[in-house]
Amino acid sequence: MNTSPSRRIIVGVGNAGVTVLDQLSVELPGMAGLLAVNTDPDSLNASIVREKILVPEGDLGDGFRAIDEQFSHAVEGSSSIILCGGLGGDSGSFLLPALAIHAKAAGITTMACVGTPFSFEGKHKRETAERALEKLQGICDAVVVIGNDQLSGSSPSTAAVGEAFVLSDRALLSSVMALTGMLSTSGPVKITRADIHNVLGKPGSLTHFGFGKAEGSNRLHEALERALKSPLLALPGKGSALKQSPMILLLLRGAMDISFAEMQSAVGKIEQIAGESCQIKVGVHADGPLGSALEIHILASSGGIARKPVKAIESSPTIEPTGSITPITKQPQRQPKSEVLEEIPSANDGDGKGGDEFVPVSKNPASKSGKKPVAASKQLQGTLALDTYQRGRFDKSEPTIVEGEDLDVPTFLRKGIKLNPPSRK
Amino acid sequence: MTNEQIFVGLEIGTTKISVIVAEARDDDQISILGVGETPSRGVRKGEIIDMETVTECVREAILDAEDKTNVEIGNVWVAITGSHLASFNNRGSFVLPEERQIESEDLQAVEVNAKEVAIPTPNTFLHTILQAYHVDGNQNVIDPLKSEGALLEADFHIVHGIKTRIRNTLRCIESLKIDIEDVVLSSLASAQVVLSQDQKNYGALMIDIGGGTTDYLVYFDGAIRHSGVLALGGDHITNDISVGLRLPIARAELLKIEEGSAANPAGSEGGTISLKNDPRFLGCDVDRTALNTIIHLRMKEIFELIHRDIESSGEGMLGLIRGVMITGGCSKLKGIAQVAEEVFDIPVELTRARNVSGATQIFEDPQYSTAIGLTKYARVVTKNFAPETVFGRITHGLGSLFKKRSR
Repeated sequence: MNTSPSRRIIVGVGNAGVTVLDQLSVELPGMAGLLAVNTDPDSLNASIVREKILVPEGDLGDGFRAIDEQFSHAVEGSSSIILCGGLGGDSGSFLLPALAIHAKAAGITTMACVGTPFSFEGKHKRETAERALEKLQGICDAVVVIGNDQLSGSSPSTAAVGEAFVLSDRALLSSVMALTGMLSTSGPVKITRADIHNVLGKPGSLTHFGFGKAEGSNRLHEALERALKSPLLALPGKGSALKQSPMILLLLRGAMDISFAEMQSAVGKIEQIAGESCQIKVGVHADGPLGSALEIHILASSGGIARKPVKAIESSPTIEPTGSITPITKQPQRQPKSEVLEEIPSANDGDGKGGDEFVPVSKNPASKSGKKPVAASKQLQGTLALDTYQRGRFDKSEPTIVEGEDLDVPTFLRKGIKLNPPSRK
Repeated sequence: MTNEQIFVGLEIGTTKISVIVAEARDDDQISILGVGETPSRGVRKGEIIDMETVTECVREAILDAEDKTNVEIGNVWVAITGSHLASFNNRGSFVLPEERQIESEDLQAVEVNAKEVAIPTPNTFLHTILQAYHVDGNQNVIDPLKSEGALLEADFHIVHGIKTRIRNTLRCIESLKIDIEDVVLSSLASAQVVLSQDQKNYGALMIDIGGGTTDYLVYFDGAIRHSGVLALGGDHITNDISVGLRLPIARAELLKIEEGSAANPAGSEGGTISLKNDPRFLGCDVDRTALNTIIHLRMKEIFELIHRDIESSGEGMLGLIRGVMITGGCSKLKGIAQVAEEVFDIPVELTRARNVSGATQIFEDPQYSTAIGLTKYARVVTKNFAPETVFGRITHGLGSLFKKRSR
């Protein structure tokens, strides 16, 4: 295992963390490199994650020492670690920083995705969470902070308490997916760890992220729309959180035919919202089979006190000094097969991630940009219009999304019903 | 103030803007004097997307109404819809400082308490509609005033929506120097003239299908229990036809009105419909089954969404609905009642404004239900603050505020 250069481990800590791992394994079956750590044996027993470490009950310090070796063994040889869990509870608040210190000492790039408690959970929890968060932000290379209160602002107050927690688990899950997605090594345009560190490595900041997924000819428009509407990006009453962010990570994942124009249009739209002074780092991971859905992940932070003035590349000892962009026309070098966790497979390409099936990316961007004029976003709408007949006259209107479906698309199309075409005279 | 007995209802719809001028009669009924109307431009899915154009259309509709009725319009009641509107039920409670008779201030206090819930920050309350009072655990007290108690509770149906979007509607009208009496949820307005008191008591679902939105409302035990807005309507059917049969929008609209049917096409005769040439369109033959399948699937989906929404919003609520009343311009579509019956499995009736008098051809058309309903709502609210009607207890959140400002 030591030879593998990019082994990545996701560690779920505490009940919230374990729940997230379970959801992750349901969402992306076959994902390796998951490790559950908890003090609650029931939660661990119920979990479907294969590797588990039970922290003995009683004093957490003693408990941690007891699993020390086991943890070292589990993370041995990995190049990066993502810790996820909820802060505020006893196990999460203690174990997350403790594991982070341990991993960091072993020279592993350490990142964390954590949720801070709802305000209705009380002052004690909030203070515990704040202390733990401070520690984490001091240790980790990047911390994604999900303010649960921010989430609750977007749901009606009558939502069941259970729903609020489900929402927060989902947010945590998608942040982990966004982070692993961004770290994945496929190209053609990569996001480096330095970029991630720049955006997320600042103490005291809140992380905002959005996720949107869509397929079909209007996929960019729809996915971006959904991503921008995510509860952690759309601040109630204040518009988009991107306005306050000094730096934004944008990742497009999906079919290998993600076009140059789509990438450009996405960047243009984000720039429009965030303002020109904002730095946007773009990644494109175009490795899915043709026709698979386009996923858009947006990560940004706000409110942080910058450790240093924001520079284009800020390097820290553990960060690989890779350039952020590899030539688009060249097929990216595949990582050795031994890696335990390659990229997260998109939900619909469970079987298509083998290296042999990899079709060179080089053809597509080149031919696309040859076919289509390099268009600014305005012109792009013109070129797309031919393909977007699906939404018809509602093409440019705010989509009517109910239960996750875009209802502007004719029902018979969504249900895939074949009709007799009219016969022209 | 002009004649207090004249009420003007204004509905800015996706298809048309209609202004109904009605006169209050002594027997609690309203009599329609006339209607002003213009085709709507700049409205999509019930919401304004082009302020200037809409303002111009509203001006035309108002002038049209003034011409036809000889009434100078100075203030209007406005209907509002859009997918941003949301609703929920909440109970407010108020502990009286000592055991004593309940005063009207206490009723206000309990309402304030019910509104002390967090709604999303960009939203504002549109309606807080009383469902029932409870005094010291005594359920469903009709009128708690003057009765003695220590704990007063009340259930409310609360409707809220995005502040800026509601304001845009109002701004259009204010710029025409017309005062706004109040803004009313479209479905609430329609229900005033579409549902009878009996239906409100026994349990009814009213669905108002317009061009851009479908508004619905559930009543039982005489009070509103649920309301909702779907940004789906007749325009979607037209669009579906246009996409599915590759027809221009205008042609698809015509085909929908003249030939379309929402009834399940399975087992129907089929055949083709021949569309003639016209200067801008090369004729073609359309498969009738294809046309009706497109419409049927869309309508069925709309009803299923409503069905699911009601099912999930209150346990057993569906079981309390005894009948479905369908109104709105799109209810004129053939076969629509059959689809609704298929989905809801209870009697379905196509309906329009009732208990109104005046120009018959106007109120017999279901597309005016909302605008007529506004005048009825206005009549009841202004005339009647006595607690014997449900409306007397309907209270205003936003509307009264705007009234002050616009003066």
